[in-house]
Amino acid sequence: MKKLLLTGTLTAAAAALVAGCSAGSTPTLPSAPAPSSSAAPSPSPTPTRAGCNNNDNTRVESYAPSGPLPAPGDFRGSTMEKIRDKGKITVGVSADNLLFGFRNPITGQLEGFDIDMVNEVAHAIFGEDIKGKVEYRVENFAQRIPDLRSGRVDLVADIMTINCMRWSQIAFSTEYFHAGQQVLVRKNSPYTDVGQLNGRKVCTATGSTGSQNLTSLYPKVVQVHVANISDCMVLFQQGSVEGIVSDNTVLSGFASQDPYARIAGDQFTKEPYGLGIPAENVDFVRFVNALLQDMRTDGRWATIYRRWLPAPVPNPPPAVYGRALP
Amino acid sequence: MTVIETGQPAGAPIPQPPPARQVVRQVARATFEGTPGRMRSYGAFVVLGCLVFGLFAFIAASSRASALSSARSDAAQLVRIQAIRTNLVFADANLTNAFLVGGLEPPAARSAYQEGIATASTTLAEASGVSAQDAAVLANVNDVVTQYTGLVESARANNRIGYPLGAAYLRQATQLLRTDALPPLEDLVKTEQARIADSYSGSAHAVYWLVIGLLAALGILLFTQIWLAGRTHRLLNLPLVTASAAVIVVGVVLVATMAWSQSKANHTRSNAYFATVELATARIDAFDAKSAESLTLISRGSGQAYDQSFNSLARNATMILNDAADQGGADEQAAKTAFAAYQSVHQQIRAEDDRGNWDGAVALATGGKATDANAVFGTFDTASAKALGQRSAQLRNDLSTARAPLTLLAWIALIVGVAAAVTSIRGISLRLREYR
Repeated sequence: MKKLLLTGTLTAAAAALVAGCSAGSTPTLPSAPAPSSSAAPSPSPTPTRAGCNNNDNTRVESYAPSGPLPAPGDFRGSTMEKIRDKGKITVGVSADNLLFGFRNPITGQLEGFDIDMVNEVAHAIFGEDIKGKVEYRVENFAQRIPDLRSGRVDLVADIMTINCMRWSQIAFSTEYFHAGQQVLVRKNSPYTDVGQLNGRKVCTATGSTGSQNLTSLYPKVVQVHVANISDCMVLFQQGSVEGIVSDNTVLSGFASQDPYARIAGDQFTKEPYGLGIPAENVDFVRFVNALLQDMRTDGRWATIYRRWLPAPVPNPPPAVYGRALP
Repeated sequence: MTVIETGQPAGAPIPQPPPARQVVRQVARATFEGTPGRMRSYGAFVVLGCLVFGLFAFIAASSRASALSSARSDAAQLVRIQAIRTNLVFADANLTNAFLVGGLEPPAARSAYQEGIATASTTLAEASGVSAQDAAVLANVNDVVTQYTGLVESARANNRIGYPLGAAYLRQATQLLRTDALPPLEDLVKTEQARIADSYSGSAHAVYWLVIGLLAALGILLFTQIWLAGRTHRLLNLPLVTASAAVIVVGVVLVATMAWSQSKANHTRSNAYFATVELATARIDAFDAKSAESLTLISRGSGQAYDQSFNSLARNATMILNDAADQGGADEQAAKTAFAAYQSVHQQIRAEDDRGNWDGAVALATGGKATDANAVFGTFDTASAKALGQRSAQLRNDLSTARAPLTLLAWIALIVGVAAAVTSIRGISLRLREYR
């Protein structure tokens, strides 16, 4: 029942998206998933790490917070204290993803939904003044997991889909945004679904879930891989590819930069976004989850949504806990 | 002494006209038999020897001259191709730096970019007009440059609207330049260097032909004079002595000139030519490194590949500049110092970026202060361009100087050879006349 409801909402969101894009440059985005205010811990047991190597992204459970969010400075012996002592938090982000993580060409600064999430985490650790305390590391998608595993970054806020295989390598916060994958095509093209692009060239980013989904769901589509997803848009505008498969968050950013592009078809996957954190920093995951829960309830999440995405503001994705501590 | 009967005895019956072959044989016998006949034979050899000398000397000197002139035009082409590369990386360095500033690009950077592209295009046209061999590759490069500027304009257009897609176009542009335009030009530089090496070694044997011609002519002249002295009891034959003297003087002068020209050319090769190639390479590497610096900052933390590229390019440029400063003048020294200064600014930029102060790093990399990267790099640009200009002018002049006397001497040798042959005929016919 819940699943049906979800699909209905997403389809409606997709339709709104298409309409929004054809209207012009207004950034359009799908709404978050089915309204749900329940933050109740999920009773389902945690899947064991061993044996999980698929792209199952229905298991979004994360670690429950250990209590209310501690005040900045009150982190004895924790990962947060290490970050605070280091004087800065190093974060992996995108610079070419309009609306979520992008370099504003006018100011040269990084902006977007994900950047705002990062700032909230930074405030929770450093307090009011975070100037110079956030070090951005602009990454392409394939670099995110290796950088988390090597400890090069403390956090990844880069429209990263929570899935089972990734959980075996890193840890995720609870879901903070719900997206789905679609395909971007030229406005005058006949395509209404990814399946119609069999034998055609479709661009995705190396190491992205889009590439994996195409391989498993639409194996006849000819994939063109690039390091940065925005390179797909260059190929698309040059006519070297017929379509781009990625999250609708990315695609709507593209569509608002090109009036001759439209998003086609239904969302064929669910993409729950989580903040990526090194697997061993469980305390940091629980800390971030406590922060996210505060943001869901005190309106900060809605404020960020309103800043970047069109109204109406949906309910935030519910927190799902229950993953057993390692 | 035998006297040859030349007339027919009187009253003999009129013979049948002899067959043509017999007539020839008779005339030949009449001409070359006995002492006057031998005189005529040696005379013919002397004439031949003088002509061979003139011809060989002409060929030797003029082939050397033309080899040097093709070396000179190959070197000029090399300089053009290096100029194309330099202007492209110069334009790219300004482009990436302007992009790093964000917002509206600084007008100075924009006009420097345009100037670089314009100069590269003009030089491309010029270079393909000069060499049909290079035209295909250069036409290809020209296409890539057109694509490159197209991508750059797309990047600008997106930037001005505030679309981050501009960054993707910029990345495509700089990558295209480095994969499709610069490598074929680099290959062309190698081809041009091989051509110059061919020109250098191609006619190196020319001097031997000259020596063979000279020895042959002198040998025959000397032998004939000794033989004549024995037969005619006249010690000297003035025309033959004159011819010998002329051949010796011209031959020796020519051998000496060719040796001088060769050593001058060799000296040029290991000095002005080498310096021109190296300085141009240092400049190309330096501009490329400057682009890599901007691209590292644009990549913001994931620019390791660009940073590595900077390090290897800068290391190469430094090595060349150190050598150039050791051998060169004040400008080379200034270029070396300025590049070292730029590298220390670069270290500061890296240090700022590495400790998380990206804004500070960008300010250093794009700022307008005299101690910021652009101004310091500008000093290097000016000094190295001046040094390169001097060295390539010197290369042109040196090769012209090495060639100039050869063309003139080639003709003189030919004329002297012919004149010596004519004089020798006079000398021999003098003795023949005395003999009757």
